[in-house]
Amino acid sequence: MPTSQVAPSDIPGKEQASRSAEYFQSVYELFKSSQQVTGPVHRSYNIGGYLIRLNFSGAALLSLTRALEHLAIDGHSTPDLTICLWDSESTGQPMAPRPWQEGDFLARGVIQGYNTERIYTAFQHGSAAVSVLDKERNLAIFWAPDPRVPYWEKGSPLRTILHWWLLSKGLQLVHAASVGNSTGGVLIGGKGGTGKSTTALACLESDLSYVGDDYTLLGLDSGPVVHSLYNSAKLNSDQLERFPALLPKIDNTEQLDEEKALLFVNEHYPSRVATRLPVRAILLPRVTGLAETRLKRVSVATALAALAPSTIFQLPRAGNEAFKFLATFARQLPCFSLEVGTDLSTIPPVIERLLAEIDSTSLPPEK
Amino acid sequence: MSNQRFRVNTPTVTHETIDGEAVIINLDSGNYYSLMEVASFIWGLVEKGASASEVQNLILQTYQGDATDIYRGVEELLAQLQQENLIVPVNGAGAFDLIQLNQELSSNNNHEKPSFNPPLLHKYADMQELLLLDPIHDVDDAGWPKPNPDPPK
Repeated sequence: MPTSQVAPSDIPGKEQASRSAEYFQSVYELFKSSQQVTGPVHRSYNIGGYLIRLNFSGAALLSLTRALEHLAIDGHSTPDLTICLWDSESTGQPMAPRPWQEGDFLARGVIQGYNTERIYTAFQHGSAAVSVLDKERNLAIFWAPDPRVPYWEKGSPLRTILHWWLLSKGLQLVHAASVGNSTGGVLIGGKGGTGKSTTALACLESDLSYVGDDYTLLGLDSGPVVHSLYNSAKLNSDQLERFPALLPKIDNTEQLDEEKALLFVNEHYPSRVATRLPVRAILLPRVTGLAETRLKRVSVATALAALAPSTIFQLPRAGNEAFKFLATFARQLPCFSLEVGTDLSTIPPVIERLLAEIDSTSLPPEK
Repeated sequence: MSNQRFRVNTPTVTHETIDGEAVIINLDSGNYYSLMEVASFIWGLVEKGASASEVQNLILQTYQGDATDIYRGVEELLAQLQQENLIVPVNGAGAFDLIQLNQELSSNNNHEKPSFNPPLLHKYADMQELLLLDPIHDVDDAGWPKPNPDPPK
């Protein structure tokens, strides 16, 4: 297995730096050509406190913005990051022939020979999309061959570019859900299938706000904080019958035999989406088969082992830095196993009681 | 056991020890690990540069148990850590401060020694599939792999 970790010792010399920068520029020129055909379309978002502008060639890829609409702003000021988006099918502008060999596609989509301290390059096998970032210019490009991107790309668009750039701003993208209220939020971690979405969606029927169900953004500026990234929710179709109220709101009803159910929470519960909450605890859902939902204290190391691998191994170039961030984040919080009951209505009160208890006692991390 | 010293296999391996539990990730293989109690203590000693025999003697000094069991337990854990490429042998004397560590341990030895339980390396391989390369079945004229409608692993 080739490594996808770009270690300091691998940071290339001038030749690779120059080749990577030239590649970025050539893709950027193609983007500009494509935009001359279609005209520009701009959207701006406040993501983790940063103004991020999406600069589209035409409207074909606008489906990618639905998951971000809860963060939309009128961005007239200079953006902190600009992401250029184009596709070849709708614009008629072909992508340049790929300059690397088949063996240069590494794990997690990292492209060998085109990653430096300044330039980040990755390929997404499922959508066949290319993401490139010039960190020095705060400029990124997302290219897809076809605007009909897969449903999961619509659910968590631009994940790779946002992860790369936001990390340089001290924000870590994490594979975790989050819900909360005015006293704070809980981070709900664990690998796919452990119950993150079930827990987050069960809270839509309560007074708890929704921050995210799959990927959220963590900060450490003034204590542990979670920022909402995507308002989308994905649910295995076999779980749908447990959420009858959500059925009419599912976006991809026709494709549920092949796809997870996709829901844009902001389009149906706009007042329920919270964009930023201080984090008070980490919960690790676990399905028990019992009716009631219960909490059981677990160690910080247990929480770290649940959060870090499933985050790091999904993100190109994530490694030591992300791990240390998540360790620092987790150390500051009490951690619990959330034994999710079959009666979904028992989930929100357990979380609300925990938040109230922490609010009144400042529960420390487990020793 | 030998005077062999080791180092953590960075940058392939990243690790954190929190409240006596170590979490270790091998970024190349996708495997991750946890070490608790005596195993975590051994990890900390190896990380500090203790040789295999120094680790054995320190464990013997710190825990209550049969010396043969302790020697074997340490030896087996170090072999496993090497087999998983989490630590690699290093040459040279190293900078391990045995005297200082002995002093620290002595100051903590007012309590009864805990019983020695064989140190275990808990291995988790459930993330490996995220690292498996998607096979490139079909490419377009410019060499780009065609989209795969299946969701990412």
